[in-house]
Amino acid sequence: MVDPLTSLIIGFIIILFFIWVYLPRNGLLARLKRSKKNTHRVLIEDSLKHLYNCEYNGINCTLNSVAGNVSISADEAAKVVKKLEELELILSHEKGISLTTEGRAYALRIIRTHRLWEKYLADETSVGEEDWHIAAEEIEHRITPAQADALAAQIGNPVFDPHGDPIPSAKGELPLKKGNVLNTLKEGEFARIIHIEDEPNAIYSQLVAAGLYPGMQVRMIESSKDRIKFLANGEEVVLAPLFAKNVTIIPIKNETTVKGKFKSLSSLSVGEKGIVLGISKRCRGQQRRRLMDLGVVPGTEIEAEMKSIGGDPVAYRIRGASIALRKNQADKIYLINEE
Amino acid sequence: MNRTNGHNNEAILSLANNLRWEIGENFHDKLMESIYANATTIAHKSVTTPIEKPTFSFDRALDRIVTSPVLGFPMMFLILAVIFWLTIEGANVPSAMLASLLIDTFHPILKDFSFTIGLPWWLGGVLIDGAYLAGAWVISVMLPPMAIFFPLFTLLEDFGYLPRVAFNMDNLYRKAGAHGKQALTMAMGFGCNAAGVVAARVIDSPRERIIAIITNNFSLCNGRWPTQILIATIFIGGAVPAHLAGLVSAGAVVGIAVLGIVFSLVVSWALSRTVLKGEASAFSLELPPYRPPRVLRTLYTSLIDRTLIVLWRAVIFAIPAGIVIWLVSNITVGGESVAEIFINWVDPVTLIIGLNGVIILAYIIAIPANEIVIPTILMLTVLVTSITGVGSGDGVMFELDSVTATEDILMAGGWTLLTGINLMLFSLLHNPCSTTIYTIYRETKSVKWTVVSTLLPVVMGIAVCFFVTQIWRLVVGN
Amino acid sequence: MIDVNKCTTCPVHNVGNLKKLGINMKNYDYVVALAGNPNTGKSTVFNNLTGLKQHTGNWPGKTVTRAEGGFEYNSSKFKLVDLPGTYSLLSTSTDEQVARDFILFGQPDVTVVVVDSTRLERNLNLVLQVLEITDRAVLCLNLMDEAKRNNIKIDERQLTKDLGIPVIPTEARQSVGMQDLINAIFEVASGKFVCKPYRINSKSIELSYAIDKLSQEVKQAFPDIPNATWVALRLLEGDQSIIEAVGTGELGNIKQVNTSLEEIKLKVESI
Repeated sequence: MVDPLTSLIIGFIIILFFIWVYLPRNGLLARLKRSKKNTHRVLIEDSLKHLYNCEYNGINCTLNSVAGNVSISADEAAKVVKKLEELELILSHEKGISLTTEGRAYALRIIRTHRLWEKYLADETSVGEEDWHIAAEEIEHRITPAQADALAAQIGNPVFDPHGDPIPSAKGELPLKKGNVLNTLKEGEFARIIHIEDEPNAIYSQLVAAGLYPGMQVRMIESSKDRIKFLANGEEVVLAPLFAKNVTIIPIKNETTVKGKFKSLSSLSVGEKGIVLGISKRCRGQQRRRLMDLGVVPGTEIEAEMKSIGGDPVAYRIRGASIALRKNQADKIYLINEE
Repeated sequence: MNRTNGHNNEAILSLANNLRWEIGENFHDKLMESIYANATTIAHKSVTTPIEKPTFSFDRALDRIVTSPVLGFPMMFLILAVIFWLTIEGANVPSAMLASLLIDTFHPILKDFSFTIGLPWWLGGVLIDGAYLAGAWVISVMLPPMAIFFPLFTLLEDFGYLPRVAFNMDNLYRKAGAHGKQALTMAMGFGCNAAGVVAARVIDSPRERIIAIITNNFSLCNGRWPTQILIATIFIGGAVPAHLAGLVSAGAVVGIAVLGIVFSLVVSWALSRTVLKGEASAFSLELPPYRPPRVLRTLYTSLIDRTLIVLWRAVIFAIPAGIVIWLVSNITVGGESVAEIFINWVDPVTLIIGLNGVIILAYIIAIPANEIVIPTILMLTVLVTSITGVGSGDGVMFELDSVTATEDILMAGGWTLLTGINLMLFSLLHNPCSTTIYTIYRETKSVKWTVVSTLLPVVMGIAVCFFVTQIWRLVVGN
Repeated sequence: MIDVNKCTTCPVHNVGNLKKLGINMKNYDYVVALAGNPNTGKSTVFNNLTGLKQHTGNWPGKTVTRAEGGFEYNSSKFKLVDLPGTYSLLSTSTDEQVARDFILFGQPDVTVVVVDSTRLERNLNLVLQVLEITDRAVLCLNLMDEAKRNNIKIDERQLTKDLGIPVIPTEARQSVGMQDLINAIFEVASGKFVCKPYRINSKSIELSYAIDKLSQEVKQAFPDIPNATWVALRLLEGDQSIIEAVGTGELGNIKQVNTSLEEIKLKVESI
């Protein structure tokens, strides 16, 4: 018989070993998976994507911008560009680099897969917003166009990704670029966010942390060289101009704009009623569809009916039925502010 | 019909795509808004609702009591306790009757009959001592409690009380990353895990539903209660002074059940944060109006839908297991039965987790139903210890009416208090029975989740038994 | 509008498609689909009509698999298909796909929509969607007993006028009104009652523009279909089965898409 103390120690070591291997972010398996990235093909595809983005946004692309974007040295970038030329995917000339027709089609396929995957993660899974882009960056190199089409068919052939970017069609069509950067909005004007650029990640996570999302209404308070101050869903947000450049908006003029701070459904006490103004864009996918199917659409009157023993969830009377919603859901349903 | 103008059709699709880009992302929202606006207009023209809703007040008054912080939980525990009490008390008599009929009366008759018609001894053994006995055993111990538990549960469901339980419990389950309705699938699991897994259908969010299915096995099912009670009476009750024995052993059984609930919440929490992190999750819970339950219809349908289906599956799985149980005890290699060879072989290893070879073999071959684990353990113990005078032969499962006689057999098998505690823990934490495993596969249609639900509890059981044993040996000694 | 109208008593369903959807129409004259929100007593209505005893619980979403049964009336044989209970037909969930594809491609002779009379307004959401797909429907105002208990009054004639389909109040749990329901099903199936279904009018200018433009194109390419607006709506929602039906020109005559999301996920994981 083994001494109990020894076997206890062995037992603990085995458990720790498994934890170390399977830990989600820093475990051995996760590390191994990560280190398999960055192959030659990935570099080529990422460079093509960058070149396409330049073209779409009307910027000139250079060897340096490729190197910077794909995070490789200028030497390596030169090799990649040379390889792309050999493959007849790009043309180099004195003004910079431009895509050939094949190169553009290739880039669009990658972008399509990327944006489809982001849409899939946003709508059909609970993967956190900050992880969509990272996951899509990996999957875009691994999935075939046919698989991408099958995925698109399953999730209702979406035409926009969760950041508000149009998803290229299977034939490689893409609508023209719309909107301006947030910095161009004049003081006092209203606009709707249509896109939040997801690269670089450092800026993107800041914008997400500030609570910004496509579809949000904003009103400019102060736009200067030092800072951009605006109201987003009634709450004041201040961004550095560099950050604001990653937010695309289209100005809105009509009377549907809403002033003041939004009131959320969760603010109702039992017995109080409110009329729905809309569901936050942060409520996505199945969750959003479910709420609308249950009758939570603009104009619906909702009464808070009763609280559960713990105070969360709360049952609401929605179009004749009693529906229990959790606080984090009720927070995302906005009511018309009657004050 | 229009096969010729394919070009035109492509143009339609292309137009649709361009229009979608133009409208933007809000198409679905705006459409739903429009439809509801239309619905409101139509409804307002033809529906007149009273301004005061007097009859709603009954529902509201009842809801106020049900969700009251003072009365809500005591009421819930009381109702559940009454259901369990009715099930256990009510099942005793019919179970005993069925057992005496199917096992004590029919089994010898069939045995005699097989001798009369000159069936070879091994064929009679396989068919009657193996297949028939296992099937009969499962029916007599499973049918009565389920025939009481499920209709009662269904009545509460039809009345509309269960959604309120889910409503109240959701706060706790939300923190564990699960759905309030899991409280109901768990409660159902106390009756039968397979039925609990099926009941997880009412959870419409994918992630929470899989969590409910995987953790259902931590609800101590009807088939495991007798094991717990027997072992607790013998070993836990036997370790304390006689006047405390009843109380302490009952406390130990309840403790195991509560431990199961704790495990299910902890595992739910861990699953929702690791492997199931990315699965879609959406919450909604409709609280239907209270409706007077239709007792007869409910009795009929719950008997058909739940009891008989589950029982049928259990019998189907029990019969081959009965054959295997008989065969491993009767096929001999070099003078020893296969069972003995296996038991002797695994015994040293199982001591590390404080169990023994008999228990492990019993859990492997009695996988179809937890109900036949104790009869199998007794039969195998008699087989390996070569006690004479009890049981009815190799491979024939049996149970004894007297707890002391059972204790004698187990003591002869070398059992200690530690073995008893570990068996109780392992009975809680081991793979689901094969009926449940099959049901999990049917419900999830996924090999992956079936494997996870099967292996996770075994691994946990082995780990828990290991640490309990080693710490016990460190503190108490052998 | 449809050549079927030339013979008012002929069944209008498409046997070929029904067969693809797994419905055996041997020995049956008409096929009737049963749609409705969860928890409206749809299964009770089904049991009442067919005499089957399916479990019906006081839980939303009880019917998980599709049930079928039959009944006979006026020497016609009806096949009844119980569709999954759904709140809507516009989402990507499997239940809703099964329900809407059955009504669209299976072309049942009659679609009965069961609604909870105490929550008519919310239930009309589904009714209006069904009426976009088919113009042969019957509204079953179920749970009238509860509505009476709660002093809710419903003007059925007004509702019939507004919706353009027969409206039958029932109390399926007490088997009240079932004969009227069967009669209404018969009248619609045999063409004695010609429905003039209400069609949704959009409140948003952008939306109506897009729907009108697209449905006109659809009508031109497929002049025979009665529900061009629905096809346009589904195209704008990106419904794959409709996109394929339009693309191949076999609108009204196509197979279902069966690959589930789970399968695609597995495929992706295995790369």
